[in-house]
Amino acid sequence: MPLLDRILTLLRRLRLPGATVPLLNSEPAHRLLVAHSRSFRDLLVAFACARKAMAELEAAWEDGRPLSMSFIRARCTQVTVNVFKVIRHQGQIADRRDSELERAFSRLRQRIEAILEGERQPVAGEMLLDLAQINRTLTSLTGEKMASLAEAGAITNIRIPPGFVLTAAATDLFFQRNQLYRKINHILQQTEVDELSDLYSKSASIQELIQTAPMAPELETLLLDRFDRLTGAGPACRVAVRSSAIGEEFDRSFFTGLYHTELDVGRDRLIDACKTVLASKYTPQAISYRLAKGLLHERCAMGIGVLAMVEAAVSGICHTCSIDGPGDTLDLFYAPGMAKGIVESTRSVGHLRLSRLPPHRIVRRQEAEDATRPWLTDVEAIALAEAGMRLEHHFGAPREIEWSIDRTGSLFVLQSRPAAVPRASVAPSPPVVAGQPLLHGGVTGCDGAGYGEVFVVRTMQEALHCPRRAVLVVRHPLPSLAPLLHRAVALVAETGNQACHLAAQAREFGLPCLMAMERATELLAAGTPVTVDATGRAVYQGRVEPLLRPTVDRPDPMAGSPVQRTLASALALISPLTLLDPCPADFRTVHCQTLHDIMRLCHGQAVRRMFEFSLRSGQGKAAKRLRSTLPGQWWAIDLDEAPGDDDHRPDIELTDIASPLPHALWGGMQHVSGQKPAFSRRQTAAAALIRAGVRRGFDLIRAPFSREKNYFLISQKYCNLSIQLDRQPVMVEAMFDDQRGAGSITFRAAGSPRQTWRLELLAQLLDHFGYRINRVGGALFAWMDQESDVELFDRLKTLGYLAIRIRGLDAERADAGGLWLCRDKIICEIKEMLHHD
Amino acid sequence: MALYSVLIVDDEEEFRNMTAKRLSKRDLECACAPDGDTALDMINERSYDVVLLDVKMPGRDGIDTLRELKRIAPMTEVIMLTGHASVESGINGIKYGAFDYLMKPMDLDPLFDKLNAAHERKRTQQEKIERAQSDEDAARSS
Repeated sequence: MPLLDRILTLLRRLRLPGATVPLLNSEPAHRLLVAHSRSFRDLLVAFACARKAMAELEAAWEDGRPLSMSFIRARCTQVTVNVFKVIRHQGQIADRRDSELERAFSRLRQRIEAILEGERQPVAGEMLLDLAQINRTLTSLTGEKMASLAEAGAITNIRIPPGFVLTAAATDLFFQRNQLYRKINHILQQTEVDELSDLYSKSASIQELIQTAPMAPELETLLLDRFDRLTGAGPACRVAVRSSAIGEEFDRSFFTGLYHTELDVGRDRLIDACKTVLASKYTPQAISYRLAKGLLHERCAMGIGVLAMVEAAVSGICHTCSIDGPGDTLDLFYAPGMAKGIVESTRSVGHLRLSRLPPHRIVRRQEAEDATRPWLTDVEAIALAEAGMRLEHHFGAPREIEWSIDRTGSLFVLQSRPAAVPRASVAPSPPVVAGQPLLHGGVTGCDGAGYGEVFVVRTMQEALHCPRRAVLVVRHPLPSLAPLLHRAVALVAETGNQACHLAAQAREFGLPCLMAMERATELLAAGTPVTVDATGRAVYQGRVEPLLRPTVDRPDPMAGSPVQRTLASALALISPLTLLDPCPADFRTVHCQTLHDIMRLCHGQAVRRMFEFSLRSGQGKAAKRLRSTLPGQWWAIDLDEAPGDDDHRPDIELTDIASPLPHALWGGMQHVSGQKPAFSRRQTAAAALIRAGVRRGFDLIRAPFSREKNYFLISQKYCNLSIQLDRQPVMVEAMFDDQRGAGSITFRAAGSPRQTWRLELLAQLLDHFGYRINRVGGALFAWMDQESDVELFDRLKTLGYLAIRIRGLDAERADAGGLWLCRDKIICEIKEMLHHD
Repeated sequence: MALYSVLIVDDEEEFRNMTAKRLSKRDLECACAPDGDTALDMINERSYDVVLLDVKMPGRDGIDTLRELKRIAPMTEVIMLTGHASVESGINGIKYGAFDYLMKPMDLDPLFDKLNAAHERKRTQQEKIERAQSDEDAARSS
């Protein structure tokens, strides 16, 4: 054995348990204590900040609320930075750096950073592609919409306008060169998405950023050259510039009506139109949609389709599987001119329902009120049905098809995409409701029922004030109202149909929705509590409970989303507490698997060090003896006052301590003495408490404690009590954030194998009082976060009571003939104590 | 009389002005700088108690500014405030001596509390140094 090791071993042997710890030279040691106290307070602040951010991440995960990547990035950064601070402060307290711990932290930090950064690769490929060159294998470059359209154009007898696609490789390059992702993330991090006015204003800033960013000259040239070839270079030629979204989640996200389409665009406006369409990726509706679906904007790339304009005589939408009709029918919605007004519900629309099977018999025709003649002939309707079914057959699933018939009678398919969410299956017979509805009629956009107060939106200015859980009543279901869907419980619109974009989004999110409810904005007074029965097409005054029983499974839009997956991966490295066993052998860096473990380890080591150091550096200044009726000696080390303590009294009352935390704990402890039988008949409470601190046991309270002494570490927002009761090492720790009015409590106890019943009882009692429990081997670990200071103090008092009360149960167990009777008895005692207070 | 002085360094003019206006209402003496170099020039001219420093700025970035600032005015406490939350810049900020690393948007109350805590730290450090100095002087004269 090397000489140094032998000397160290000898020195360790000399520090026998219970031996008096030599005091350090008072003045320099006191100065060091002052510095350590400050580091310890800083450590506690960093610990609390990390824990708060961690709790916010955990809460977001548990309640499945919509959350942004900015939220996750900010909270993960907050946790990581504060854990780094905890490590540094612990190093200052220990007077040395723990390089092993720093390496463990560094490894975790790098993995968290990698998760937050993601693995986004730049989109590679051709910048421009003709529609004729495209098929669905190029979806990741052109977007689903354009790839499907191009493929549709290759089917016999299906005609599409000539055009080309500015691919995602080009739009991605535009974003990269202008550093737009970084700038957008900067704005998004500062956006309060819940505040609609902020959402709208930040959305405008982002869109302006994109519209004013320069496009690379070579890309501009490429675009204009291709435009010239497309249109035959005629000055009157016009194109439609359409978005074509790309996303790994396209199979479950439809992006219906989120992005902008620019119509009648000439050569002079082509570049600006492309930027406008790109900017529409950040409209308020697009931002809130991605938020609700847990999608990452950087990974929702966009291609842009440039298609020759069709001089439309009549246009419309074909759903090859009827939205709300029988399963063997299809729907056609149509109106003269272009289809824009149909999906935005700003114009009246005709509706035809046809059989899906040839010869496509018309089963229902409903002309628009202002139609003086049928806008679509039977022959045209049947031709559309044939085209629609051919597309469905080719793509293998129901389609939603936008089409136009030009003035020569030629049919053009303008868009063909997978049909969005169909109406949910509904209970066969809706419950019967007594009483007259306030409104009846319209069409069901999405089934279900919702209850709330009416909020009428006539202008966008009014929309900004839409409260949460309102019944949203609007004149036209415009796509720009989409951000309100995520805060409403139901939607009622005076116009609209099942094909409009807002209805499609309502179905995607399972929001009960009624369209074409005439005069709804007049007849439903603002603030009136109503039940909207979308399935039964009626609105009732007040709450109609039978209707509100769920008959439809609501989708969980966040489930399995990229944002949720990112959160799960990051949380796995941050939150779990695996370092549970306070046994010194396991309480080591090598066992730290998460940032929480590192926090716990640093904190434990810092507390231990503070106890040791406080005692060695002169109790007279830092520590005061508490006057108490409880047996044993009780000392308080005041971390706040240590630096400039002018109070030279040797002992103090508890009332001299300003922190509310020890008061609560102490109150519970003292209350025990009023209980009978509180302690074993064989041992008095005094005898038990005198033994505290004598026995060798738990590391935190082993060596530095003088016989018969128990110590509180106290600051204004922190309290730690480590004692031994009947050979059981017990540690209670509480932190309180007075700004939030919230705090946390941690309780640890270790027991011998002979006394597992005692830990079992403690676990049951703590569980009863709302603590989260974890048991590892012979140790019990319990903790709770409280959002109310009153509850926090009650729980702390409960813990103080239990810490003392539990020790007297040996004899009581025998007397009562069963441990579980004690459990109920102690619960009653505690309830009585809290009630009495 | 102002409680203490704060220098707000941020390339976003609206943020600078709005923050300065709000903090002035709480009796803090505020000055603004649009970038790191201007901030360092101002710190060379006079001392500030606390600097509220943006991380991402054109030209000299926040971390670089922090390092230089701590070299010329080690007693000045620096709070990094960023709209680009990044673990790397956060760790670097703390490593190079920032008092804290905060994320925008930040409500005024917690920001004010953080500034107060930073100022309190600066004050105690200053007192400590002065006490050590006077102890040393006393020892030398005796």
